[in-house]
Parts: sequence; C-alpha cells; structure tokens
Amino acid sequence: MSEYVIEMNHIRKEFPGIVANDDITLQLKKGEIHALLGENGAGKSTLMSVLFGLYQPEAGEIKKNGQVVKINNPNDATDLGIGMVHQHFKLIEVFTVLDNIILGAETTGAMGFLKKKEAREKVIALSEKYGLKVDVDAKVEDISVGMQQRVEILKMLYRDNEILIFDEPTAVLTPQEIDELMEIMRGFAKEGKSILFITHKLNEIMAVSDRVTVLRKGKYIGTVNTKDTNKQELSNMMVGRPVQLQIEKKEAHPGETVLKVEGLTVPSKIHKNNAVNNVSFEVKAGEILCIAGIDGNGQTELIYGLTGLEKATAGTITLCGKDISKASIRNRALSGMSHIPEDRHKHGLVLSYTLEQNIVLQKYKEPRFQNHGFIKFDEVREYAEKLIKEYDVRSGQGPITIARSMSGGNQQKAIIARELDREEPLLIAVQPTRGLDVGAIEHIHNQIVAERDKGHAVLLVSLELEEVMGLSDRILVIYEGEIVGEVDPKKTTAEELGLYMSGAKRQTEGGGADA
Amino acid sequence: MPRKDPLTGKIKWYKSEGAVAVYSALISILIGMAVGAVIVVIAGLSKANISTSGIVEGIKLVFLGVFSTGRDTAGHLTFGFNGVNLGNMLFRAVPLIMTGLSVAIAFKTGLFNIGAAGQYLMGTMGTLSVALWLGWAGTPKAIAWICAFLVGVALGGLWGCIPGLFKAFFNINEVITCIMTNWIAANLVTWWFDSHELFKNSAEGGKIGYVIPLKNVGVVTPKLLMDKIFAGSQANGGFWIAILIAIAMWVMMTKTTFGYELRACGANRHAAKYAGINDKKNIILSMAIAGCLAAAGASLYYLSGNTEFYWSTYQKLPAEGFNGIPVALLAANHPVGVIFSGIFMSMLNVSGIQLKYLTAYNEYISDIIVGVIVYLSAFSMLFKTMLSKRIKSDHGNVNAEPEPAAEEDAPGDTDEETEKGGQK
Repeated sequence: MSEYVIEMNHIRKEFPGIVANDDITLQLKKGEIHALLGENGAGKSTLMSVLFGLYQPEAGEIKKNGQVVKINNPNDATDLGIGMVHQHFKLIEVFTVLDNIILGAETTGAMGFLKKKEAREKVIALSEKYGLKVDVDAKVEDISVGMQQRVEILKMLYRDNEILIFDEPTAVLTPQEIDELMEIMRGFAKEGKSILFITHKLNEIMAVSDRVTVLRKGKYIGTVNTKDTNKQELSNMMVGRPVQLQIEKKEAHPGETVLKVEGLTVPSKIHKNNAVNNVSFEVKAGEILCIAGIDGNGQTELIYGLTGLEKATAGTITLCGKDISKASIRNRALSGMSHIPEDRHKHGLVLSYTLEQNIVLQKYKEPRFQNHGFIKFDEVREYAEKLIKEYDVRSGQGPITIARSMSGGNQQKAIIARELDREEPLLIAVQPTRGLDVGAIEHIHNQIVAERDKGHAVLLVSLELEEVMGLSDRILVIYEGEIVGEVDPKKTTAEELGLYMSGAKRQTEGGGADA
Repeated sequence: MPRKDPLTGKIKWYKSEGAVAVYSALISILIGMAVGAVIVVIAGLSKANISTSGIVEGIKLVFLGVFSTGRDTAGHLTFGFNGVNLGNMLFRAVPLIMTGLSVAIAFKTGLFNIGAAGQYLMGTMGTLSVALWLGWAGTPKAIAWICAFLVGVALGGLWGCIPGLFKAFFNINEVITCIMTNWIAANLVTWWFDSHELFKNSAEGGKIGYVIPLKNVGVVTPKLLMDKIFAGSQANGGFWIAILIAIAMWVMMTKTTFGYELRACGANRHAAKYAGINDKKNIILSMAIAGCLAAAGASLYYLSGNTEFYWSTYQKLPAEGFNGIPVALLAANHPVGVIFSGIFMSMLNVSGIQLKYLTAYNEYISDIIVGVIVYLSAFSMLFKTMLSKRIKSDHGNVNAEPEPAAEEDAPGDTDEETEKGGQK
C-alpha cells in the first residue's frame, strides 16, 4: 500500500495559447484535508478537472493507492471513489433534494421502477450521521444556498466516495455556515475520507487543512504542512511577492455629512415584510462607513433603494444637501454618487460590450464623449486607454476586448476604474472584493482608502468580517432589514460583531447594548 | 484572443467577427441551395413529364434563375443580363429589406419582433388610404406621396408600440402580444377596406377584393434611374430609399448614444438600468422603430403604383412580415447586411418564377429553398462558433503572452450563464 491515496505526478495540461498546468504534482494522503491554494487562473480548477476526468492531461500520471489509473470521464472518477462539489452547483432546480441525490445512481427494482423508499432511508441516515441537515422532499429551487451545498455533499456520500473534492465551497456561504462546513470536513477526515479543498482564503486553510499545495500561474510552487507555516508565508507563495495582509490606513478625519438617510423602507420581493425597514444613518466626508451583516439581511435592497434601482416606499435620502428620494437613477448618480455594484455581471458590465464601451457606461452622455448624440470614438478610446493604464486593467486586446473574455479580477478593476474616476463625493462599494484573490484585494482596499483620504465619503457593504474590521472607520450592523448596532472597529471584536449579525444582540435607541 | 496578426497586433479583416458572420451566412445559403437542387432532382425523377435534361435545366435555374433570358430557337436555356428579372429582384427586395431591418433592430435591443406582419399591414392600410384620398383630392403628387408614406410609417410605429408598452410596463412577452397584434391588424385592415366602397377596385372586371392600385391616382415613387438600368421591370426609387434607411439604421445603432443605449438594453437590461438608462423608454422606442421600418416596407411596395392589395387579410398574414426574420438572421442582424440578405431572398423568389415559366417545375421550389435556409439560419450560430474555433486553433500559438483570462474561459466559463439569467 502506498502512503498516498491519490497521486497526480507531473501533470501538464495545455489550452490553445496557454499552459494551464505545467509539471504539477499533488499527493493526497488518506484521511487528510489537503488544501489547494492559488490565485484565480493559477490552474486549480484545471487540475481538479483532470482528476475528475473532464480533461485529459498531455503529460503525467494519476495513481490511486500506488496503481496507475486512467480517468477518461467523470464516471471513471466516480468508480474510483472520487466525488466533487463544484463551485457552481450541478443541481436540477425543479427536482426534489432526494431526486437530485439519487440522480445517476438510482437503485431500481423489477421493470426499472425506482426504489425511492430505500434511497430515502439511506439519505436520511447519511444526513443524520454527518449532521448534514436537509429537507429531502423540498425542491432545490426553494432551499438556501447552504442547504444546496449539503445536497451536493450528500450526493458524494450516497455514492460512497472516499476522495472528496471541494471547489471553493465557502464562496457562497455565511460565516456560520462556513464554520459548520469546516466541522463536517473534519468529521470526514476523522473517518478516513480524504479531502481536497480548493480555496484562496487563507483563514480557512489555517483553520481546517493538514497540508497545503500552492500553485501559481500554472506552476507548482510547493507543498507545506499547515502547522509549519503562516498566512503571510502562504500568501507570498501564492502571489509571488510579499503581500500586505493588514490594511494600512491613517486616522480618519470625518468632515461634513455627504449622505443622510432617514427612515428608508424598501419592500422585499421575496416575502411580505420590508427588506429594509425604517433605516437611518449618515455618511460623512473622509470616512468609510461599513454596513455589516449576514447575506440576505437587506443589504442588497438598501443599496437598491439608495441608488434608485428599486423604489423605496418611505424615507428620505439627502445627498450633498439635495433631496434625491424621488430622483431617477441617472439624476442620483449625477448628484454625486458612484456605485460599485454587488453583481458585476448583472449590473456592473454589459458583457458583450467592449472594455471601452463599458468604461464610458456612466459617462457616454457627457459632452466630452458625444456631439449631438453622435459618440466621439476617439475621445472614448483615449479615455479608456488612460484608465486602463492608471488602474492596471489587463486584457487581451486593450480597449476593444470584449468584457466577457476578461478575468473576473480585471472585470472588477474596470468597474472600479470607471466609478473611482468619476470623483463623486459619495462612493458606494458593495462587496468590492468578492471572488477576488489576495493580490487584487490588496489593490482594491488601498484604492478605497485613498478615496477616503481624498475626502470622499465611502459606504461599504461587505460580508467578509476581515474586510469589515480592517477597512471601515465605523460599522453599522444590519439584521433583518434593520440597523441593530453601531460599533467602532477599533473597540470591538469579531465575536461581538457576530452576535449583532446573528440578531442575538441589539443596541437600543439610546446607544447602549442589551442582550 | 489569438486572432491577431503577429506583426501588427491587429485582427486580420478576413478573420474578424464580421467576416465569420458572412461565412456562416454563406454556408447556410449554399446548403439551402444544394438541398433545393436535390429536391429538383427528386421531383424530376418522380415525374414522368420531366426528362433528365429537364432536371439539369431546373438545377441551372435554381442557381442562375435571375440571369435567365429565356430559350433560344433550338429550345436551350439562355443566360445573360436580364434587366426585367434583376429589376424585379430589387423591387421585391424592398419590403424584405425593410421587415428584415425591423426584426434586426428589435433583436439588437433584445426583443423578438414577430409582429412585422401586422405592422406591415397597418402601413399598407395607411399608405393606400391616404394616397388615394389625397390623389382624388388633387393634392400635389409629391406632397401626397410624402403624406401617404409618413402616415403608413406612423401607423406601423404605433402598432409596434403596443407590444413594447406591454413589455415595458407589465413584462408581458413581446412574442405573444406581437402575434395578437398581427391578427388584430389583419382583421382591422379587412374591416377598413370592406366597409369603404370607394377604395375597392371595381373598374377592372374579375378583380374582386383588390384595392385600387396607386398608379390610378398617380401617387407613385419616382423611378430615380431604375427604369434606365432595369428597363421593363418594376424597380423604382424605393430601392434607394430602403438602402438609405438601412445605412441610417446602421449609423444609429453603432455611432450614436441612442444606439449605444438600445444595444445596452438588449445585451443587459440590468446594467443599462444601473447606468441610468431608461430601459422602459428604450424598449418602447425600439419596438416603435421596428414597427415604422416594417410599415415603411409596405408603403414603398404599394407606392410603386402597380402592386395591388388583396384586402381580405384576415385569413392570411403577409409573408413579407415573417420573411423578415430569416433576412435578419442571415445578416446576423447587421443593418447593412440586411440589404444583401434581402436581395438574396428576393432573388430566390425571381428564380422560382423563372422555373415556373421555363420548365415543368413550379415556383414552390424556391419556397422550399427559403424554408431550408430559414432552418439553417438558426444553425448559423453553430457555424459561427465552429468557424471561430477553427480560426482560433489555426493561430493558437501566435500570441506569446498568455492572458489570465484564457484559463478561466476554457473550463466551464460561467459568464454566459450569469448573463442569460440576468436577461430573463
């Protein structure tokens, strides 16, 4: 018996014009949690796709328990006991949880009839054994993202997989769900299952993994024991240069009130209650105010209400002394509001437009870029080139690159370039670093701080506790559409914030806290 | 993006996206005509009265019908410049170009205008009624022409507005409302001409159910040299007007902020809204423009003077309305491309007529070819991706510097899904 349950030796995988995996070796011990760390585009997903049989490598071999195996397709991988939870779940939304779990591995009786009762018992037994709470009869479209992930995990367990691959499993989860998932992963490892954990979040690696393999730009950088390393060393390995993890910023000097919100109420599209209920706050020039909270507590609707993407039913919004409660989206923006939206594909970009067309998305009506309705193409090109250079937006063909073909990090950089260059007194940034890697996050954080130091007001919405604590000058916690507390990041702890975020703690009107 | 020249860094023109769109359209056309030829063979073999040489003649006419000049004294088919055929081809292309533009502009805004038939009928009704009224009233011909054209166009625009309004304010799918407005228009037009005796052509015996042709009142489109080039045909200045409109549409869509807004709405309504673009206004405007274009096709067709309108449309919608869809698809929704695909479709039509007059075949062969091309134009996206891939892999190693995006793109890119989801 080999020491390793899975070995991938000297794997090479090329795509036209790029080597995605260049001589990569990954060895997974039985019963360990092995993290695979790398920036976006480092080759993690490609390597896992090779292991899962989705791609055939140009060179290298895969061994299971010391035996060379050939994995031609995902069925071969399943036969070898390899299961994968994909970053974007592969579930059929209109099927029930049970149907999704048994799909492809159905037990059938005479005449090919499904034996659902047995399957159901097995699924329930598995879910109880591992603490994977699911509602087997609910349709997938009706359950939370966290539960959908548990369904994916149950799919692997139902097939008796021994090697479990988790591809960026925490990207879609709340802090509480992340903790639960970590606990479940530890349980699997204790039982002798081997786990490959793909991520670029250093905290999670430190918390749960035994060993870490680092990839950078398709190359193998090294494998280290988690207990012998630290976050700084790992991030340096990942990025290839020393990265500054702590956000450096000077004391804030709040000035005049830029944005004043009073009693804002936005109805919910999902339930009958208000998504945002009677929310009031102020953002001053030269400060970063952060709205913290667990996803789905009204942050999205609050920003929609502020920017005009959705209609507020009550409340007033005053921007730079001007009442914009009833103004159109464009007039709000022109009154001094720039907005880095939460979903860069939905709101931030027109993906089929070129980079330069996206860069003028908020500005094309300015006389600088149009003459009697005719676009001044030279001006647009010149401006786009300037921003691309200034904000280091990388793309294949410069201004004429189609936005869809750019990497997520560079798409976000393009949006940030567009919004910051407007130099509006108020910047609304909603999860500006979501899905980005350490190097890009560092860059964006520095830009947001620079924006504050220029004397602009920044309203930040973030789900990442670390970002909330590190970046903001003042924190408001939102819970079920209401502001439940205001804290000073210098005086509070992550635990205290967690209590507010989960609704366990609440400040009264007077400012004191009660439990 | 490997489609770059290694020296200049520029994309070669024959590998650009536009060129690929043209290739894929040509593939659709070639396959369509090949299938047409096969059907000519099969039909010929199964009919006793068509000989082998008859089959060969049929195939020749499918491909070259528009250049047919009849038969010589020995009974062989002759080919050459045929002004009547070519002129009629351009004349019949006008309504196809206009409805093609109508569908293409709506497509660019993310709307499927299947209501071109109804808009076309409304344009017909407006133009014919106004032209006849003003003609009888003795209004100067030029003014009568302009009024008739504009009223037709305006009625079509109004008709296009209706599905746009429903889409913008109630989010009702424009396909459903377009189909309904088509039939409402069909019945409305029938009722209008049924109940107004004065428009009925009773002067010519045996012509029951036709509206008086506009040549009777002299409100007709000037020939603008077309009669010199294509003597004996129906071609007139309407063709030049259609080309001007197509070019104007291209300028509007690509060079103006209005076109930028329209296309942004079509590509990603959420992002357009985020940028402060009034998406509702743009949806309505886009449908109104589409309606105007379809109606302009009808106006230009009937303002030629010779064409007669059979008003009992309540049972059958005009084919021009639906043929606009393949015209737009073949042109990949490019306004200038529509000119060529419109002419091509009209060429098939003329070829069909030649088949009918010169051989034992009937003209429906050309309908089959159009049908196959319509079918294949749905595949033109497939051809496009296949061609793009070929061009990419041919030049895969041109670019020395790999891009960070390349890897994300290759395995399971999710952008596509996100955007599709956003459009729902």
